[in-house]
Amino acid sequence: MTIDFQPLPHVPPDRLKQIETALIADLKPVRPLASTGVYLAAFAGIMVAVCVIGCSVVGPYGWHALSQLQKFAVFVPLSATSALLGFSLVRQMRPAAMHARSSALLSVSIFVLLLLIMTVIFHPAQESAFVRQGLSCFRTGMTFAIPAAILFSLLLLRGAALSPLLTGATAGGLAGLVGLAALEIHCPDLNVYHIVAWHVSVTLVCIVAGLVFSSVTFRRWTSNH
Amino acid sequence: MEASRAIPAPSVTELEQLMVRYQQADEIAARSLIEQLSPQLYRFFAAQLGNPDDASDMLQDAWLRIHRVRHTYRAGEPLLPWVYAIARCVRVDSYRKRRRIAGREILVEVLPEPASASEEPSDLPTFDQLIAELPASQREVLTMLKVNGLTLEEVARATSSSVGSVKQKAHRAYERLRGLIQSPRSGKGAAT
Repeated sequence: MTIDFQPLPHVPPDRLKQIETALIADLKPVRPLASTGVYLAAFAGIMVAVCVIGCSVVGPYGWHALSQLQKFAVFVPLSATSALLGFSLVRQMRPAAMHARSSALLSVSIFVLLLLIMTVIFHPAQESAFVRQGLSCFRTGMTFAIPAAILFSLLLLRGAALSPLLTGATAGGLAGLVGLAALEIHCPDLNVYHIVAWHVSVTLVCIVAGLVFSSVTFRRWTSNH
Repeated sequence: MEASRAIPAPSVTELEQLMVRYQQADEIAARSLIEQLSPQLYRFFAAQLGNPDDASDMLQDAWLRIHRVRHTYRAGEPLLPWVYAIARCVRVDSYRKRRRIAGREILVEVLPEPASASEEPSDLPTFDQLIAELPASQREVLTMLKVNGLTLEEVARATSSSVGSVKQKAHRAYERLRGLIQSPRSGKGAAT
């Protein structure tokens, strides 16, 4: 069976000329985006630097309080989630790159697994100042996450993210994981309720903040262009 | 089902080489790239919108966006998915912007409805009339595959989805088109 296309509309020549003039007027050599490995290393470097510098200031009390099994069970999935989110972010910086969404989705699954592991390896305990101590931890987590988010944004500005909401949520999630990792190193409180309510919430709040921030900036950007 | 008039595609390697030279600020390469890719992009926008004026505006927007992010193209990577990913983004942004503007506009008079495609006295509907009946995602995939001549892998890259998902959308689109062609009068019913 054959279907006829309607006559192919020609691009208006004046419009083509207009495009050519606009592009040629601003023609400058550009340096292509560095390889995935370079950006992945940059994201990892930021994460490690923020955690190490921050924890050396506030003290690695949590690290000493954790058993070997707990360290392994927390930091291995945390590193895997961070690596996947970092990989997804690097992919999102370039249009038509493969596996940007699938790795972000996979990282969510590993994060859920991390939550389940935490509920198994940490035990509930009574706390006299659950909210006060929790808020203090939450603030500490955010002071790690915010500088990380700013540094991630500077890297992301070099690329061209075509799905701003996904990129915002991913970057927020990665910054939140910096906060979570730093809290696990810093906070010696091993109460499961404290960890789930105040440590993990840093990541969740960062994801929402990333979504909101990217949504607002994207809306402003589209209304100005 | 076959398309009777496909756009003659320039060599992919040639386009990729032009893109690399365009990144190095080669004026001739930039002009050549614009001339070779614009008809494809224009057709992509026109097939989605059906309005040549809007398609022309979007073509300009797409080129400005391509120019702004040209450093994100990496030599050796397929060019067409990169271009269509940007074009797709321009189309979505433009749709959102238009919807926002339309929401603020006040209707001062009711314009007469244009004659619907199915009312035209024709035995077979045209390709554009047929794909207008498809949902946006299927229309987009079919346009890229059959009008712009992209491969399944290229469409998957451009739409940030898997090859399986593209195949599924194309298959559903063919099923609907088959139904529409077999019963053109009851086409709307088949499309729901």
